[in-house]
Amino acid sequence: MADKEYNPKIVGFLCNWCSYAGADLAGSSKLKMPPAISSIRVMCSSRVDPVLIVTAFLRGADGVLVAGCHPGDCHYEKGNYYARRRFALLRKVMETLDLEPERFRLSWISASEGPRFKEVVTEFTEHIKGLGPNPVKEKTSL
Amino acid sequence: MSDPKKEGEGLKGAAFSGGKSSLETVLGFLKRTLAEGCFDALLLPVKAPGGDSFPYVLVQDKALLEDRGSPLPPIMPVQGGKAVSSLTRRGKAPRKVAALMRPCEVRATIELFKLAQVDLENIFLISIDCPGVLPVKDFAADPEKGMAAFGEVLEKWGDRKVRPVCQICHRFTAPLSDDGAGMVVDLHIGLLGIEDGEVLLIPYSPAGEEILAKLDLVPAAGGDILSAWRDRANELTKKRGEERRRAQEEMKSKVRGLNNLLETFDKCINCHNCMRVCPVCYCRLCYFDSEAVKHPPDDYLRRAGDWGSIRFLPDTILFQVGRMSHMSLSCVSCGTCEDACPMDIPVAQVFSLVADEAQEYFGYLPGRSTDEPIPLATYKEEELEEVEDAPQGASSETKEKDG
Repeated sequence: MADKEYNPKIVGFLCNWCSYAGADLAGSSKLKMPPAISSIRVMCSSRVDPVLIVTAFLRGADGVLVAGCHPGDCHYEKGNYYARRRFALLRKVMETLDLEPERFRLSWISASEGPRFKEVVTEFTEHIKGLGPNPVKEKTSL
Repeated sequence: MSDPKKEGEGLKGAAFSGGKSSLETVLGFLKRTLAEGCFDALLLPVKAPGGDSFPYVLVQDKALLEDRGSPLPPIMPVQGGKAVSSLTRRGKAPRKVAALMRPCEVRATIELFKLAQVDLENIFLISIDCPGVLPVKDFAADPEKGMAAFGEVLEKWGDRKVRPVCQICHRFTAPLSDDGAGMVVDLHIGLLGIEDGEVLLIPYSPAGEEILAKLDLVPAAGGDILSAWRDRANELTKKRGEERRRAQEEMKSKVRGLNNLLETFDKCINCHNCMRVCPVCYCRLCYFDSEAVKHPPDDYLRRAGDWGSIRFLPDTILFQVGRMSHMSLSCVSCGTCEDACPMDIPVAQVFSLVADEAQEYFGYLPGRSTDEPIPLATYKEEELEEVEDAPQGASSETKEKDG
């Protein structure tokens, strides 16, 4: 692993109406970005239960990104507001237990923001590379 | 924060006596409420015939109170919030019921009300100063010794014999501020700083005042007994708050970080008792009991392949952290989870640590008010910017949009 470049694995929960379309636009616009993200399309960022994020981490994801519509633009009007609170709580729980909350990111990306999707993915991938692999992987008895 | 000396100054209280001990006096008061028709039934802990437990019992016959009614039992085998919830789950209680509980149980009841699991319409909430309870397993092993130990606990009011979460409980009494901002309750029974045989009845709602009026008890604003209670309660609250902070710092050093957390929950046998007895874990079907976490063999084999091995049953930490991310905002630090743990994992101590930090972050106190929504059930359009795009900080694009 030492001489090979470290390619983190990031799980991305993308909302159907905004961020998934934004990711799609980034792709069809042929924007270049690191291939670190495995996208999971969800109907809304508020569909993502914190348990899913913890699951991803405990199964070895190096980073988790949740992306939804900008505040005020939610297809269901207020899903992303609830999501923001839920993830604020998750982040607080992870912070209290020192479980590397910095491996988690919540971002708003609209359907027209292909370049922003690229920017978020690039930035987050770099950030995770800086953190190194998820230490969970060294545990054998989770 | 208001000056602690001033806290509780606008409260009114009525002294009540008649029993040989304060707890006997409480029973005397309860009997009178039944006799005068204030309530149709009382929900309170009653000593089981074997003397080894104190379940909640719905009492209509005041004779039962005579020898077995236990307003302050040495253990908490069932969280009172759960008892009220099963009484009113299908709608309001058909008749007027007064429930006598410890403060943490009242708070859990209020949380369950907000979660639509309790109907308060015909429920009159009575709380009582609580010195803590003994670990349920210790008591069950030797009830006689337990009763003696609890006698000491009552005398000293705060003893190392009570459960660890009880030792650092700083919300063991009624709200001391005038507006009752600490807890929703109709009537509180004060025992602290009061001579044995006497109790202090403090109304916190119009319904509470009504009941006292019906019994010809006139609560007074001043008086030695009220100030004695208030001073003792304030002093102890402060002391416990300090102990709580100290104990939580110590606990932090034991559980923080993946390794420590794994070590703490290493003994877990996945019985999920902690979740089942938790008053605020109200889901009929917990995600962690559902088919969603029963994975096909392939999944386990793949994980074992990826990691070299996999523990069975897996996902212990997922269960604990998942539960914290679901219900820590409503956690009342009652300690029932720890009582129920067959492996003596300090579940409640870890949970109350996480809960305290989460509740402080959201400026929320469970049980404080029926109007204040649980933070996850509401939102503000502009808030929590720190979680957007964190950890990198907002990108320029987002900043412009916010501006």
